[in-house]
Amino acid sequence: MADTATAPAVDDEGGLKRSITGRLLFFYVLGDVLGSGIYVLIGSVAGEVGGAFWAAFAVGVTVAGFTGLAYAELATKYPQAAGASLYVNKAFGKKPLTFLTTVLYLSATFAAAGSLAAGFSQYVAEVWDAPPALLVMIAFIILLAVLNFIGITESVVANMLMTFVEVTGLLIVLVIGVIYVGQGKADFSVLADFSTDDNIIFAIVAGVALSFFAMTGFENVANVAEETVDPHKNFPIALIGGMATAGVIYVLVSMAAALTVPVDTLADSDAALLEVVKAGILPISVTVMTLVFAVIAMIAITNTTLVQVVTQSRILYGMAREDVVPGAFGKIHSSRRSPWVALLFSAVVVIGLVVTGDVLGRIGLDVDIVSRLASVTVALLLVVYAGVIVSCFKLRGSDESEKTFRAPSALLVLGLIGNVVLLGYVIATDPTSLIWCAGLVGLGGLLYVVEAVFGSRNPDSTDTGAVKGA
Amino acid sequence: MHVVVATDGSRQSLAAAKQLKAFADPAKITEISVVAVIRPLASVAFADDVSGSGFDGSFRDAAQSAVDAIAAVYDGWGPKVNKRIRSGSAANEIIKAARQYDAGLVVVAAGGRGLSDSVLVGSTAQRVQHYAPCPVLVVRPAPKKARKG
Repeated sequence: MADTATAPAVDDEGGLKRSITGRLLFFYVLGDVLGSGIYVLIGSVAGEVGGAFWAAFAVGVTVAGFTGLAYAELATKYPQAAGASLYVNKAFGKKPLTFLTTVLYLSATFAAAGSLAAGFSQYVAEVWDAPPALLVMIAFIILLAVLNFIGITESVVANMLMTFVEVTGLLIVLVIGVIYVGQGKADFSVLADFSTDDNIIFAIVAGVALSFFAMTGFENVANVAEETVDPHKNFPIALIGGMATAGVIYVLVSMAAALTVPVDTLADSDAALLEVVKAGILPISVTVMTLVFAVIAMIAITNTTLVQVVTQSRILYGMAREDVVPGAFGKIHSSRRSPWVALLFSAVVVIGLVVTGDVLGRIGLDVDIVSRLASVTVALLLVVYAGVIVSCFKLRGSDESEKTFRAPSALLVLGLIGNVVLLGYVIATDPTSLIWCAGLVGLGGLLYVVEAVFGSRNPDSTDTGAVKGA
Repeated sequence: MHVVVATDGSRQSLAAAKQLKAFADPAKITEISVVAVIRPLASVAFADDVSGSGFDGSFRDAAQSAVDAIAAVYDGWGPKVNKRIRSGSAANEIIKAARQYDAGLVVVAAGGRGLSDSVLVGSTAQRVQHYAPCPVLVVRPAPKKARKG
């Protein structure tokens, strides 16, 4: 086949081109981060911290941003889709550790999708209270699996549009805040108000632990690493730029919310940002605005959840092809080219989570599905993030070229400390989340056992771990 | 004539590639471009079911293996064979490739016979048929009795 050589250098345009530009990557990160929390969790954070809850978002986004630096460095070194498990595998080369990382990450995406589905149902309830919340959650999860099966997630245009809508929703809140301040009604002392009589640091840590969910999502950026144009240049800028933009928006939105609506009202609301809109500051009918804003919030949540669903089915597909979970998860639909078994399984797991939360709530245990699953996500992801930062240090000096982005070590250390402190706080104050984490991780272990006992080994890939070594 | 043979890594696309070889006159074909499209935002950006090699975490590698396997169909047949990997929406990229190479024919597989193909619009083959700048050979899957899960 000497005449078929198509070396990249001599190929004409379009031959080996990648399609994710820096700008698209930026919007992917922004859309992914923005949808995951501020629409869902802002009320709980306000309740935890008090009027100064913007500080919790500021600290949270900073810790997440330092973690993002490690992702940026590693993604430029190893531009492949597997993300955290790839990095841990490169750094330590231990199969059990790689498997554990993969399962922790997978579990986090399950919990995140459950939390988001519950958040979605709360916004639905604001405009249409007829259907029971559980039914809305289940319908939402099934709908997303179907959308993913059809291939909606592939549309770059749809992705950009949804991100614009997300930003628009938050801009509405900002505009309301600015008008309110302009009218001279704002009492800025609220912004320095802590609801707790205890230590301020403690109140902030509590808020950060809760609000951290709003920062997650950026780790899914590894999904598109392989298809990014000039990753060494675009990855650091788009990833950190996207997170910083999200951080600034979060802080400003928190301030606007705190100034316009009493913190107690925010804390008691299921859909707290709607309270800002309902304050009636804009000269538009509150009913119309409520509807518009609720729809915007639903779109935002949908965007982020879709990415979680993509990630879940990708991880399961990759693991099936590596023979660490049953091969059925590697099944691809013949014409849609979607991993339908993995999608189905993911939907069943996420439905299982929200049903469990609902049932526990019914038998008298006070379970708020949104924040319960959000803190489970955060606990799982903090472990993954810490592992990624450690891997980043371990891999210093290998596979580097002059093009490699190098994250400032001091910031990485701060990020690592931040992740560990938050993890410690979550475990100490909310040991119940460990039961949920164990349940999800146990499910991953179960799949491994099923494959080990019943699966037929593929001789090609017995010793590759989750990803092949370089 | 330049022929674009599209592959999504499916066995049907391998069958389509063989179909071309079964009836076309290699003397009339100057060049064949085997095109695979990676879909960056899809759950599985590229699934290779034709080369038999394992998945190593890289969808680019998977696409490369699939393109190699399809190109191997034309080994020694005559026309010059190019291997191309593109990135983006499958139908768009196939159509763009056809334009760019000034193709005289595009070969695609029609996908399955399942419910999703009759109910859901917008499959790759359909869009290529509608918008390609040249004739399109759509290779239907084998009769149902031969179809395996």
